[in-house]
Amino acid sequence: MKESNNIIDILKKTKRAIIEKDITSLKELSDRTIHTASIYQDPDNIAIAVTVYSLGKIIQKKETEKNKNWKKLAANFNLFIDGILLALKKGDMEKFRKQLEYLRKEINKLSPDFRKQVQEVFRKASINKASKIYEHGISLEQTAKMLGLTIWDISEYAAQKSETPKITATVNVKQRLKQAMDFFK
Amino acid sequence: MKILLFDSSTLITLVMSGMESTLKELKGSCKCEYIIPNSVKKEIIDRPLEIKRYELDALKLQKLIDEGILDLPESLGVNRSEVEQKTKQILNKANHSFFSGKEPINLIQEGEAAVLALAEILNAQKIKNLLCVDERTTRMMFEKPENLKKLLQKKLHTNIILKKDEIPKINAKFIRSTELVYVAYKKGMIKYRNPNNNKKQILSALLWATKLKGAAISPDEIKEITRIG
Repeated sequence: MKESNNIIDILKKTKRAIIEKDITSLKELSDRTIHTASIYQDPDNIAIAVTVYSLGKIIQKKETEKNKNWKKLAANFNLFIDGILLALKKGDMEKFRKQLEYLRKEINKLSPDFRKQVQEVFRKASINKASKIYEHGISLEQTAKMLGLTIWDISEYAAQKSETPKITATVNVKQRLKQAMDFFK
Repeated sequence: MKILLFDSSTLITLVMSGMESTLKELKGSCKCEYIIPNSVKKEIIDRPLEIKRYELDALKLQKLIDEGILDLPESLGVNRSEVEQKTKQILNKANHSFFSGKEPINLIQEGEAAVLALAEILNAQKIKNLLCVDERTTRMMFEKPENLKKLLQKKLHTNIILKKDEIPKINAKFIRSTELVYVAYKKGMIKYRNPNNNKKQILSALLWATKLKGAAISPDEIKEITRIG
């Protein structure tokens, strides 16, 4: 795995953020793998980004706030994160992926009604990360492939979120309009 | 004969903003053909037909094929395997043109490369063509790769090595859905009416619609196009 030390640091901080229900930190932490994900297009980095972002969203959901067993639930989440951390430190990627899968299953256990919402949370988390990766200069189709999404899923969100800085305007506006007008003459 | 080549992004923008009929009207105004590679058809029709959220939009695009508005390269006598072979070559070169350290960055995918492959094939046959691509990366790579390098460096906070010679040499000219709706507006094909007869507001609304559905265009560019009117 690329830059596993960065992931280890992210996961350690994720544990604290879960206990403190610190949604802002979870969102920020989920973005810390984006640079690596964009360059190496490593699915494990992407999976961590999506999972950490989803945890933030799940905590944000009111249902979880009402959950009286939050401390127990948070402890469970963190137990799985400990498993992920241990696998990472040993460089055992097969175990790392299994532990990550267990964590996702644990999230799914929240409540039967919540299961569908969780699926949607993960889909939206993938779209959120995709729009960030597109912002970083990777093409729409390549980004969609990396996240297991379609271009349909991300084009609208990517366009709204990307800041389209001045450097992206590569051809003069008038020149491009002329090209189009000339073609349809 | 003139050919307008589409990648997925432009057609998705137009159908999502309810402006796909513009394509039909524009085609009626010029002696031209609209072509999509088979890989683009997969992305805009075959795959979304299996996703409830996008099924209807995929059907609308299928209708454009059924009506002969959109065609596949085979309609021009272009061999499918030739497109696939050129696509592979372009993908391989383009995805080895920007490096972070020793790591090549995979920037583009099959559909995007297939449109470029078609442009190259048509250029060789001296057939005038224009590429319609809403997404930013492919356009930047061929129009101003230095700017794509700057963007990658700025966003990834790392030094990017650009191997300009690796970028396939294709004489590709790009427009977006934005320019298509502009042409439709100029040709009087847009039938919306503003209560104050403010035509520029209509143009601005069209341009913003394309931006918000996926076209990579900045607010400054929209402002300028609206001013030009």
